[in-house]
Amino acid sequence: MFNLLRMDLYRLLRSKSVYICLASLMAASVLCFWMVWLVDTPEGQKAAARIGMSGIVEIEVEDTRTGEAVEPGSMLEGYDTLLMFRDIGMDGGAYVSIFGIVIVLFFCSDYSSGFMKNIMSLHRRRWTYIASKLTAAAILDFCYLAIEFGFCLLLNVLFHNLVPAAPASDVLFYLGLSFAVTMGFAALFLLACTFTRSASAGIIAALVLSTGLLVALVSRVTGLFGLNQWVSYTLYYNQTYAPSVYSGIGDLKGFAVGAVFLALYAVLSAVVLTRKDI
Amino acid sequence: METARSKRFPPISIRMEHRLQVTGYFCTVPKKGERNVMENSIKKQHTLAVETISLSKLYKGKAAVSHLDMKVQEGAIYGFIGRNGAGKSTTLKMLCGLARPTEGEIRLFGKSADDPITARRTGCLIESAGLYPHMTARQNAIMKAKCMGLAEPNAVDRVLEATGMNNTGNKKVKLFSMGMKQRLGIALALLGNPDLLVLDEPINGLDPEGVREIRQLIQHLNEDGKTFIISSHILGELSKLSTHYGIIKDGILVEQLTREELEQKCADYFQIEVNDVKRALPLMTENMPEVTAEVCDNANIRVYGLKEGSGLNHLLIENGVQVYSSGFHHMDLEDYFLARMDGTAEK
Repeated sequence: MFNLLRMDLYRLLRSKSVYICLASLMAASVLCFWMVWLVDTPEGQKAAARIGMSGIVEIEVEDTRTGEAVEPGSMLEGYDTLLMFRDIGMDGGAYVSIFGIVIVLFFCSDYSSGFMKNIMSLHRRRWTYIASKLTAAAILDFCYLAIEFGFCLLLNVLFHNLVPAAPASDVLFYLGLSFAVTMGFAALFLLACTFTRSASAGIIAALVLSTGLLVALVSRVTGLFGLNQWVSYTLYYNQTYAPSVYSGIGDLKGFAVGAVFLALYAVLSAVVLTRKDI
Repeated sequence: METARSKRFPPISIRMEHRLQVTGYFCTVPKKGERNVMENSIKKQHTLAVETISLSKLYKGKAAVSHLDMKVQEGAIYGFIGRNGAGKSTTLKMLCGLARPTEGEIRLFGKSADDPITARRTGCLIESAGLYPHMTARQNAIMKAKCMGLAEPNAVDRVLEATGMNNTGNKKVKLFSMGMKQRLGIALALLGNPDLLVLDEPINGLDPEGVREIRQLIQHLNEDGKTFIISSHILGELSKLSTHYGIIKDGILVEQLTREELEQKCADYFQIEVNDVKRALPLMTENMPEVTAEVCDNANIRVYGLKEGSGLNHLLIENGVQVYSSGFHHMDLEDYFLARMDGTAEK
């Protein structure tokens, strides 16, 4: 398995898509920080006026709860770097979507290139392949989360400490939780790739599943029968509504959900790979 | 003698002369290097590199391969021949672990094919070469080397050099010609110095120079004791290499034979077409006791052991037997294969 992992890491480092997708996440962060800075800080408002962004200057920022106009700076009340990080990429599913695209391209290129024949002729126990792919995905996920969060911290500094820094314990808890849930997603995407062997099908699956489209659709139907408790056990729910602060054992549910789905989809992928010829 | 029949059909002897030329170019006579290959294969023919026991593969209930009992001796170059869809690639895929047998067993070097150490002794090139298009030849080879866990730093350079792929520089595989991809596929199969090489159409897309180089490489590796299973539709080329043959038809291995057995079966014979076989045959056996005659059908006789054909023609004509056509034949692998496919090789 470690040989396969070494091979996967060698390829990951040489995959353009890894860098393109990371760059797009970082670009989204820059854009978000810049927009918030323009809208919500007096310096930003002045800068917007200077460069002729009259639309932004004229915006009356409203408190979403009371509907009253608020002064610049008050929009970010209660915000810290962790909440900014969540709002930028995590809660809306952007991170999982982009991460999903990268790993789907990574998984499916083994099939589309035919290199799978070289791999499978050497590694006839299919589960080693699945384990290697998921380990590579875990390393990529860890790097993406760390880089993306580190970049948010850097942007916060560059934008004159727009929001206060979140406590390190909260950051570690949330990143760990996100890692667990995204790995559940990674195993799901691997299953989709193993089953369809098509990058386009895998990407569609990644977008539909990570943005919660499927969960929303099914929950509408089950909601009619008052059967919506299952939603809180989905990967999407645990990604979007993950607690930022650890306050009790119940907050660890996301870890359990991620681990269960990771194990389930990994086993299913191994079964599919074993049953289908290369 | 010119009859209505001989007017309709051109003299077969001319066609046979042409065939003799073709045969001489493509086939059978072992050259200097090939002799070494044969000698080497004889030395190693005591153990089996590949043995399949009642190997079967069903796709949606239909048998692609049916109860195949293949035996490939260590050190052999086993030419695996069959029509499109006969089950060659499916068999080779099962040998390489890319398809699961529905039934039966595969043993490589006396051990189960699923054994990881045994799997590492096998190099495969099945159908097209599996390569990452956005990587260079060297990067693809490094990938395979990492996949195998090869620690030897020169292993990649050595196989690239052996296949003439060491000078491709930073050119991406997607810009390679088909022949270059095929060479790289062979290079990847050679990584790790495997004892058994399973090559499915290895010379597809290669130019004549490339075909020759790959042939020489295979011969050289075989001299070092490597076993090959090669499937190819270019039978002339296959016959230059193979020490053993397996012929598969509709998923069934119809015949396995050595090069010597094939040569024996393809030996020169004189075929004569006459109006009366029943009269011609006793004349031959009485007047030419040194030859062996075999009736093919109610007009054709095959005569083995005849050096020169005009004496036989005169003998028959003088005794009132009409000779429509006559000529020397030599079957090559292609003729034999085609005859085997339509069932006439048994005659």
